[in-house]
Amino acid sequence: MKALKLYAVGYLVFLYAPILLLPLFAFNDAKVISFPLSGFTTHWFTEMTKIPALYAAFKNSLTIALCAALISTILGIFAARAATRFSFAGKGPIMGLIMLPLVLPDVIVAISLLVVLLQLGIALQTWTVIMGHVLICLPFSIAILNAAFQALDRSLEEAAIDLGETRVSTFRLVILPLVMPGIISSLLIAFTISFDEFIVSYFLTGSSPTLPVYIYGQFRYPAKVPVIMALGTLLVLGSFVLLSIAEYFRRRGIKRRGGQDTGGFL
Amino acid sequence: MTLSAPRPIIALRDVQKYYSDYHALRGITAEIQQGEFFSLLGPSGCGKTTLLRTIAGFEDVSSGTVHIDGKDMDGVPANVRPTNMVFQSYAIFPHLTVAENVGFGLRRAALSRTEKAAEVDAALKMVGLTGYGGRAAHALSGGQRQRVALARALILKPKVLLLDEPLSALDKKMREQMQIELRRLQRQVGITFILVTHDQEEALIMSDRIAVMFEGQIAQLASPQQLYRRPISRQVAEFIGVMNFLPVQVLGENGGRVQLNVAGLGACEITAEQCPSGVQIGAASVGLRPETLTVLFEGEVARGRELLGRVEEVQYFGDMTSYEVSLPDVARPVSISMRNLVGRQVLERGAPARVAWEEGALVLFC
Repeated sequence: MKALKLYAVGYLVFLYAPILLLPLFAFNDAKVISFPLSGFTTHWFTEMTKIPALYAAFKNSLTIALCAALISTILGIFAARAATRFSFAGKGPIMGLIMLPLVLPDVIVAISLLVVLLQLGIALQTWTVIMGHVLICLPFSIAILNAAFQALDRSLEEAAIDLGETRVSTFRLVILPLVMPGIISSLLIAFTISFDEFIVSYFLTGSSPTLPVYIYGQFRYPAKVPVIMALGTLLVLGSFVLLSIAEYFRRRGIKRRGGQDTGGFL
Repeated sequence: MTLSAPRPIIALRDVQKYYSDYHALRGITAEIQQGEFFSLLGPSGCGKTTLLRTIAGFEDVSSGTVHIDGKDMDGVPANVRPTNMVFQSYAIFPHLTVAENVGFGLRRAALSRTEKAAEVDAALKMVGLTGYGGRAAHALSGGQRQRVALARALILKPKVLLLDEPLSALDKKMREQMQIELRRLQRQVGITFILVTHDQEEALIMSDRIAVMFEGQIAQLASPQQLYRRPISRQVAEFIGVMNFLPVQVLGENGGRVQLNVAGLGACEITAEQCPSGVQIGAASVGLRPETLTVLFEGEVARGRELLGRVEEVQYFGDMTSYEVSLPDVARPVSISMRNLVGRQVLERGAPARVAWEEGALVLFC
């Protein structure tokens, strides 16, 4: 038992120690990433704000992540609704295809998308990245939204219709409020995935890179590394906050319906 | 002006329902009267819930017609039908309060905010939930959810209230209490109630009339007493309560009297009224309810005829005792239930038992 405990602790340290190094060197007053530490500074954070290309990449990533999150959540609502409420021919294979990017290597997905776009003669632009990201995010959105729609008792809809509401007003008055926590959760997770995504962005980005692609590019210049450390610290913090909010909404949704918690992301 | 017969609130004419290859309703024809407490009783899969949902408008009929209050409901969607439903799961909206749930149907009503609040209060009072309006729906107990569902459905003053196994999720005590309360509520509001249940006791206790359904058809539509005393078939008799069946030879029929030779009981004569499924000369069976048979104790004299049997099995229920008694020339032991009156002993297994029976209790199934 003791050995197992030791193993677990060692495993966690191995996983998270590198991430902990990010803030360590972000606040370190030296141009070189090495021990011993030289002193505390917030210089790298102020330096960060002075790079226009970084700011442009950040804005680009933000736009892409917002669009990808919105599109994949909207598509996810349709798919989850269809998957949980209706039965149709080929439902299994169709749902399987939608979930496929979850297990396909991202690099394969990225290369095939690139080949298709080039064959079609479509120039690489922001929206081509968005499209690629929707493909990656959609399985996650559907997984979250499926659970939200699954938990919905069908007779709730019928009760609303029985009490005089139409299908459309029933969706607005009953279904939407009940799956809203799932929708918010899907938006946040898709946003996070898209914002952090590298491979698809790397292949499909045109002239304006996303933040992760920009960061990768900067590693060629040793002088830029401390700034990247500062940026990385902020990104880790941001991802953590977004995922926490997503989990909060997912749990609140379950509690509001008085249901049982059956897993989740955190 | 002549007095016309009361118009049925619901008229079903040869209602058929197919699901791709499954024939769920096989020609249902029935009329349900205004103010009636009507039950659809049958085992699971008999089509009773499908029929209820057809009346509500959640299922289309494949053929046949459904009239509610004289209007053909063909093509009329559920949201505009003058019916409301209490769902098996109650379907309480979990994101709304009790008052918002109860007042949900009033959203489209042309009432002021205060008028709506008054209606909600009145509905909550009617089901005994005064003061619960502000509570969150998911914090209610099973019985309370049931009441909220009732109030929510009744607030629109429907012509017909449809109840889909509303008591099956409650424990026994609660169920018995709600049975009485539902009946009281129905008399109070005067609305036609249609109850779907698989619990024959529940149907007997609450209903004015019961339609017993098997395999998509109504086997018998009658009052509880009629159903229990004069079941039209062995299937109905077996579904409602317990009945002993004995093989019989139908010997003849004259002047409204039917002559029988019952295995173990001998020759006897019954009235035509005891033959709800008609009379055919030849082999058939007769039924006897356990409480129409009597075990005689010391000094007691049979009102009808008497046999000597042997106690095979005893089940003691407190208020009554159920015996399985084997009779000479009868293949299977018969069930006899006896009230445990003061001073009346309980026979033991293997003891001889004098059994009294009466011709008037027999029901013939041809």
